[in-house]
Amino acid sequence: MAVISTQAPSSVARLTLRQRSNVVLFLTLALVSLIVIFPVIYAIFTSFKPRGFGLARDLLAGGFYLGNYELLLSTPRFVRQIFNSFVMSFGGGVITTTAAAMAGYAFGRFSFRGRTVLLSILLAVMMLPGLTNLIPLYKIASDLGLRDTYLIMILVYAAYGIPFGTWVMVGFFRSIPTDLEEAAKVDGATPFQAFWLVVLPLAAPGLTAVFITNFVYNWNDFLAALVLLSSTAMKTAMVGLFDFQNQLTGNNNELLIAACVLIMLPGVVLFVLFRNAFLRGMLEGALKG
Amino acid sequence: MRARGLFPYVLILPAFAVVGFISFYPTLYSFFLSLHSFRRGQQTFVGLRNFEQILNSAGFYESLRLTLVYGLFFVSLTLLFAFLLALAFNRKLGYTGVFMTTIFIPWMLSEIVTGIIFRWLFLPGYGLLQELFSPLFGNITFLGHPQGAMGVVVGATIWRTLAFAMLLILAGLQTISSEVYEAAAIDGATGWQIFWYITWPLVRPTTLVVVLLLSLQAVNSTGLFLSITNGGPGRATEVLSVMMYREALVFFNFGYGAALAVVMFFVNAILAAVYLRTMRSEIVV
Repeated sequence: MAVISTQAPSSVARLTLRQRSNVVLFLTLALVSLIVIFPVIYAIFTSFKPRGFGLARDLLAGGFYLGNYELLLSTPRFVRQIFNSFVMSFGGGVITTTAAAMAGYAFGRFSFRGRTVLLSILLAVMMLPGLTNLIPLYKIASDLGLRDTYLIMILVYAAYGIPFGTWVMVGFFRSIPTDLEEAAKVDGATPFQAFWLVVLPLAAPGLTAVFITNFVYNWNDFLAALVLLSSTAMKTAMVGLFDFQNQLTGNNNELLIAACVLIMLPGVVLFVLFRNAFLRGMLEGALKG
Repeated sequence: MRARGLFPYVLILPAFAVVGFISFYPTLYSFFLSLHSFRRGQQTFVGLRNFEQILNSAGFYESLRLTLVYGLFFVSLTLLFAFLLALAFNRKLGYTGVFMTTIFIPWMLSEIVTGIIFRWLFLPGYGLLQELFSPLFGNITFLGHPQGAMGVVVGATIWRTLAFAMLLILAGLQTISSEVYEAAAIDGATGWQIFWYITWPLVRPTTLVVVLLLSLQAVNSTGLFLSITNGGPGRATEVLSVMMYREALVFFNFGYGAALAVVMFFVNAILAAVYLRTMRSEIVV
């Protein structure tokens, strides 16, 4: 906010007005951010209160109780479902990144018959609504015996991630000059070797962005897991949370909220660490498709 | 580079195999399912009877109305708040990065975590917001009141989506060069005139895209309803997506559920077509 001092003195009166309005604006933004984040902060404080504490009008009342977290982390069902979430999100991320890197390279580098049409078809999938697709998929997965397995969830998450991941990778490969592959070819590398050994390492930042965003998206998925998983041992943390909410009896909200806080952590932490990858991804996904 | 035989096709094969199996095939299969009835494990062809049943049920129109009400409030309010926030962020005050990160955190929470937190905040006797807001609305119990429950879901959806909408509008605002504003200021334009004659016409296309994206989200929103109200009280928040979920996956009326899915598919397709057209014709990125 110190930029203003470099302006000409003749317009001082107008600038101070602008300066003052900037201070008001800054404080307004601070207040809005505080209001927006308040439910999360309030939830975090509540998660450290003993079970049965009830409505907390004072954030610090009730001391700093770790029992909710201790109980959750020593509940096999909870740990197992966190593990399931991790395996499915990670597996989905790996397949998404691999398939998107390959397809992105093909679409970004080569001209081949049907290129434009195939890319449009792939991107159109992003517009398919989730639940509409999950009802027939439930039937298909049941018929094939794939319901309630890691495999179907990993494939579903990959299918959700691949179209957008491919789009990101197309842009990435186009920004890498072709000289290196030409040089590799001269040195006798096959097209696959040139892709795998020369281009892919250069595309590492793009691959990381695709993997991280897809992982968080998968971690946060609720609907696909709700529809396709049925046994307690296979459910993800999000579906487990939903069951927990429905089964909760009495005044035990503190425990439920502690579970929410633990489960939201990976998404929030990865977002804060890789903020730019997420923001760029959102913009490209929405405005450039 | 020119094509080298089959190499590019080999590269795109895994992507198309996965997407084909998980996305394309089920969508086509839902058309098949919608023409059948599934009773006691028996599959019988019933033609368009499921669609007839949908169009003749009062429940469908009530769900459609609820979806529209939900969408209208969610889209218009999100747009209003997002626009104001984007205008504020566009002033480039400095040190606002931390605010941006903060308001994005709700977007990184899953629907179910958002839903549980909001439900808890409005639980009678335990909820802070129930206690805080109830005197302003005639002491109602929000979750036990038809409009109140819908209001909580609308609020939760806005809370989670606001930053995303803001980011898109901000991107639109940033394509306007500062020279345009300076020229207008020299010509003595007032703040309101600048907004109305310069800013608005230039961000109109982006705004339209945001409206369509939010509408798509509104039509398909399911998780927040399931976790906050589960369609209740009664069926007061049973929007189309919740109705579809219940018919197909709670009552196992696959044919009927699939027919609803086909209807939803076309609603989505129309919105998506308008969205893509808007992007092609209006947005030059």
